[in-house]
Amino acid sequence: MLGLFGTLNLAARSMQAMRTGVEVAGNNLANVNNPAYSRQRVVLETSPTIDTQLGPEGTGVQVRSIEQIVDSLLNGRIQDQSSVSSYWKAQQSSLQDAQNGLNEFLNSTGSTDASTSTSAATNSDSSLSARLAGFFNSFAGLASSDTAGARQKLVSNAQSLADAFNNISTQLGTARTAANTSISNDVSSANQLLSDIAKFNKQITTAEASGGNANDLRDSRTQALEKLSGFANLTTSTATNGQVNVSIGGQLLVNGQNVADTLQTYADASGNLLVQTTTGAAPITLTGGSIQGTIQARDGALGNLQSDIDTLANSFITSVNSLHATGFNASGTSGNAFFTGTNAGTIKVNTVISADPSLIQISASSTATNDNSIAVALGQLGNATQASLGGKTFSQAYSKIVGDLGDSLKTVNDHVDNEAAVTTMLSAQRASVSGVSLDEEMTTLMSFQRAYTASAQLVKTVDDLLQTTLSIKR
Amino acid sequence: MRVPSNNYSESLVNQLNTLRSRQYNLQNQVASGLKVSAPSDDPAAMTNTLNMSADKAAAKQYSSNIGTLQDRAANIYNVLQKLQNISTQAGADAISATSDPNAKVETKTTLLADLNSYLKQALELANTKDPVTGKPLFGGTSGSTAPFTATKDADGNITAVAYSGNSSVNQVAIGANATVSVDVPGVNTTGSGVPGLFGDSRSGADFFQNLINLRDHIAAGNTTAIASTDKAALEKDSDNLLYHISNNGVTQTRLDLTSTVLQNSLSALDKNISNQTSADLVETMVQLNQAQNSYQAALQSGAKIMQLSILNYL
Repeated sequence: MLGLFGTLNLAARSMQAMRTGVEVAGNNLANVNNPAYSRQRVVLETSPTIDTQLGPEGTGVQVRSIEQIVDSLLNGRIQDQSSVSSYWKAQQSSLQDAQNGLNEFLNSTGSTDASTSTSAATNSDSSLSARLAGFFNSFAGLASSDTAGARQKLVSNAQSLADAFNNISTQLGTARTAANTSISNDVSSANQLLSDIAKFNKQITTAEASGGNANDLRDSRTQALEKLSGFANLTTSTATNGQVNVSIGGQLLVNGQNVADTLQTYADASGNLLVQTTTGAAPITLTGGSIQGTIQARDGALGNLQSDIDTLANSFITSVNSLHATGFNASGTSGNAFFTGTNAGTIKVNTVISADPSLIQISASSTATNDNSIAVALGQLGNATQASLGGKTFSQAYSKIVGDLGDSLKTVNDHVDNEAAVTTMLSAQRASVSGVSLDEEMTTLMSFQRAYTASAQLVKTVDDLLQTTLSIKR
Repeated sequence: MRVPSNNYSESLVNQLNTLRSRQYNLQNQVASGLKVSAPSDDPAAMTNTLNMSADKAAAKQYSSNIGTLQDRAANIYNVLQKLQNISTQAGADAISATSDPNAKVETKTTLLADLNSYLKQALELANTKDPVTGKPLFGGTSGSTAPFTATKDADGNITAVAYSGNSSVNQVAIGANATVSVDVPGVNTTGSGVPGLFGDSRSGADFFQNLINLRDHIAAGNTTAIASTDKAALEKDSDNLLYHISNNGVTQTRLDLTSTVLQNSLSALDKNISNQTSADLVETMVQLNQAQNSYQAALQSGAKIMQLSILNYL
């Protein structure tokens, strides 16, 4: 038999268990808006029974543990999804920079098509496409009326075109630099997270050594793992002591409570940053995460764009200069290239020609200085297909470049939207398992509160009984 | 499904963001009238639009070229008309000189004065400059100096006219693969290319020399030469002029027609660009209305749901 004092102890244990329940419910309520928090639950068990003549008799309740309600499988999927989402978002950011750099946006002209009640679109005058057309049209205009004004206009349009090529090249260079900076920053952040995860591993082991679960530390570690997977796709394995080992690109980086290796950037032959391990200097091939997304955008669409623009510029410079070289200027002499440079970054109007437009060589004869044959040919060069551009005209080749970039960005945008939907769905699934519900917690809180009150009432009752017992002697 | 408390707010924020983004895009489309403004909106439409914009810019340039050519053709036509007047007058003088072999000295002097005047007028016309470029209209492509130079006698009368230009003419683009020339060389003795205005080996025209011959034959009283050779020579000059006047008219008609075709082409390009890029305002407004309604519904339902919890009843 428990006796009155045993019952008093039972009531005390019960009050203690209910108080723990209130505390856990309170903690859950406090973290209701913390997305990294997984709700916790008090696991109660009956206290050990004691043997009596009547058989085993209960001794009340006690707290066995405070459990986290988590779905490890779901956490793993969210971790993977974080890697995929970040991969596409990083590409989106880089390609949006490139799209802005191209400056090929359509504006409304304000003129209205009566049949459709809609206004026609036009590309910006400062765009490369408009300036490319303007350049060839200036030659056509010069061919129709060779005046000093027409020559000056041609030089001005040629300089604008060269500026547009230069600007795009600069913008793409800036985008590449920004990508490298982003990779460098991401690697630093990833290294910090590797260090954090190792620390959490150590703290969790220490905290759990005396029994129980270090739930909040596990939440923090889960959050750190998700952040890390945003930078690079990782694989994890959990040891029996609860520590998580982390590998990236097949390289073990967190081994229990130690950081086995870290990441660092290194430059390839083109100056593009790639990732390797710091100690082992082993190049790491990533397949997800923002670091790989940025690398993919930089070396893929951005790199192709830069290459295509340079090919276009080179073909343009070569073709214009070749035709121009066959001509003679207003004085019947020749020998000046129209453009200098070899690519989008270096193209310039020959300073000799920009200083004296009469040196533009538009005549096919040194004696017939009024001849305009070369100007006509240069004007029609805009309509001529170029073998070096895959049988396209300059404008068509550039339109394709713009379209290809648009296509890449559209594909990436679609992926970002799709992955965002998947992320939202997975987050909702996880929240349905681990998220805190005010209604639930308040109900639980009331339940423990009532039980606590009942236990306190038991103490009072036993106290009354003891008082009664003691009063017998008086 | 278990729905925790912060799921409401997170889900509501996501939905509101999506709906606001949709409203933003639709409002932009309504305001600009465009459903495509960036390459990523519709890469194919953007590629087509840029190609058509380049075609549009070229068509505008061709239209401008046609305007320039029309002005130049009109200037040339003015010269041709004046030359035709001179040619007609010279022909009349030749008839007059042969119809009355015993004409008074005063009459002969008047004819000679007229012909010397015609020669000077013709020389001025032959060296006419393009008012825009300042270059000779009838010098071929040779250069900027006056293509016709006269030799004069002691009395200042023209005795010979030399041509320093060439027989080439400049072509100007009026289409992607179409060029046209309104220019006329002063003299063409090559037997090919555009016939010369003042001298041409194929037609036998030699405007200045034939006038000089007529004048000299009148001065010498050589009516036989006038009748047998000068009249026929003047006929050749007149025929050559008529050819150029006719050709000028044909070229101007071609320019007018091409200009009309280009205007039609520009309209068609505008329409095609509009088809590729313009938003359907009616459809867009309906979609915007739907998005607004959804937004209001989300706000209303979200606000109501989030207000309620068990706390309201404790």
